[in-house]
Amino acid sequence: MIEVDNLHKTFQSKSGPVHAVRGVSFRAPDGQITGLLGPNGAGKTTTLRMLYTLMTPDKGSVRVDGLDAHRDATAARQRLGVLPDARSIYKRLTARENIEYFGRLHGLDKATIARRIETLAQTLGIDFLDRRAEGFSQGERTKTAIARALVHDPRNVILDEPTNGLDVMTTRSLREFLQRLRAEGRCVIFSSHIMQEVAALCDRIVVIAGGQVRAIGTPDELRATTGESDLENVFVRLTRSESES
Amino acid sequence: MRTVFIVARKELVDLFRDRRTVALSLLLMPILFPALILGAVGLAESKARTQLEKTLRLPVIGAEHAPNLIRFLRAQNIEAEPAPEDPDAEVRAQTFDAVLRISPDFADNWRSSRSAQVELIYDSSREDSRIPVARVRGAIEQYNRTLAVLRTMHRGMSPEVLQPVRIAQRDVATPESKRGMLLAFLPYLLILSSFLGGAYLVIDVTAGERERQSLEPLLATPASRSAIMSGKILAAIIFGMLSLSLILVGFKVSLAVAPGSLRIVNPSWQLLFQLLLVLLPMVLIGTTLLTLISASVKSVKEAQSYMTVLMLLPMVPTFLLMVNPIKNQLWQFTVPFLAQNQLILRLVRGETVSFEEWAVYIVTSLVLGLILWIAAARLYHQERLAISA
Repeated sequence: MIEVDNLHKTFQSKSGPVHAVRGVSFRAPDGQITGLLGPNGAGKTTTLRMLYTLMTPDKGSVRVDGLDAHRDATAARQRLGVLPDARSIYKRLTARENIEYFGRLHGLDKATIARRIETLAQTLGIDFLDRRAEGFSQGERTKTAIARALVHDPRNVILDEPTNGLDVMTTRSLREFLQRLRAEGRCVIFSSHIMQEVAALCDRIVVIAGGQVRAIGTPDELRATTGESDLENVFVRLTRSESES
Repeated sequence: MRTVFIVARKELVDLFRDRRTVALSLLLMPILFPALILGAVGLAESKARTQLEKTLRLPVIGAEHAPNLIRFLRAQNIEAEPAPEDPDAEVRAQTFDAVLRISPDFADNWRSSRSAQVELIYDSSREDSRIPVARVRGAIEQYNRTLAVLRTMHRGMSPEVLQPVRIAQRDVATPESKRGMLLAFLPYLLILSSFLGGAYLVIDVTAGERERQSLEPLLATPASRSAIMSGKILAAIIFGMLSLSLILVGFKVSLAVAPGSLRIVNPSWQLLFQLLLVLLPMVLIGTTLLTLISASVKSVKEAQSYMTVLMLLPMVPTFLLMVNPIKNQLWQFTVPFLAQNQLILRLVRGETVSFEEWAVYIVTSLVLGLILWIAAARLYHQERLAISA
């Protein structure tokens, strides 16, 4: 379970401070998929980076399974599987070596790593384990990166725009994979800027725009609050109301 | 600690799979450096030999005033030839190494046993005319002495009156110290290759990894950032030492097969090992410094733009010593680059380095390495390091 309370983050830029995240709070319970939905530049990636301890919030707190993510960063990281926005794999290593490397950094032993790789390869459909990553397709790279992120069997999984650049077939198998993670009782958070994708998968949607939470609820609840039946209109309504206010 | 080895191993595997880069950086230097040094030394030697043995063509002004001198010079393998119009300009323009002018009153002075004057025109700033000028001067002085002896004997005096003091010369240079002269460039080449030998690897594993966007997932693992950084530094040090060992072996092999005077300066394995020991702290300093730079810049390009300045650093003591040679003093072993320079020269010249000097050197350079390491680790812990632009 991941609990986020009143996160704030400001960056210094040449044109003055940019308040990227201003007071984001939500709860992502175990056994559910929570979608972070928002247009480009809404503060999704910054929020997620604070969730997986890469950035320290200026204000507010993140709790992973009850652990404070910033006072207890190492313990929190062990419970998190992270697919960041920047997720290149090492080109000169094989898919297996890429996954193994992260397994070792998580302190796993050889046998455990080998077992996990078999399981993940099966569920993700990785049949290219011993090929060098040079020349992998986008889908193969993403699958390797996801396997690498989950090698330590984490309870909580955070994925930043996982379907970016994937074709329909790969997106569909990724969707099945996320549903499987949910069925296993894990807490899954993923971000996207595509309303349909989020609606098809998520139990709960957190709509973010301009660094703030615009709405939280199930897809149906969001339809009801906005009075729109078309998902795209729901999204447009929710994110635009922010820029007008 | 385990993380350090995991990261180091991965970086080395990753690096060695890049066959062409590894081949270029590991093999090129061991071939190029000895070739450069041996080539330069060999060239200088063969040039000196030709300059010493070949018939020297010497333009002479007023040759007709001193036919005996001209004959004597010819016996010394110096052939007089007609002189140009403007000898000063011609020498300056490097058409001739030297021009001899015999004054018109040479014959008169000669006959009346007064000092007859000859003038040697040359350019002292020209390195390659040194040998021809010395040859001409030596020949004239020999002619001078021969005549002086003849004249004193003719007057019934002992020729020794002319030599109140006689200089006997004894060159105490050992073969080892001659080796030092031959290999004057060795310290700079070795220091440079230990300082920056693994540079592109160091830049690649920090700035490059960030640019390729694979640093963020790496830093999101529970592994400590200092350990990840140390692993990368360790990989670069191992690679740097490997490359240095190959360079040194390259030197040994090429000196063993080298022609002429270089054969005598074949370094022992023990010397090579001591050189490696001198260079190890340099590798550490170079690697940590580059890691520090790579962690503070925005891109690989920016990191590489520091290289020009860094390449000049090891030259500073070499130049200082060239202009202002200083005796060995203990404080020198605390100054990076200067310390390595002095130590390498002394080892190559076969002089002993005391335990105290070794200790001062090793301790101060390790401390410097540690300071750089801490500074780099601090940068590694900064938030913005992980965030790819």
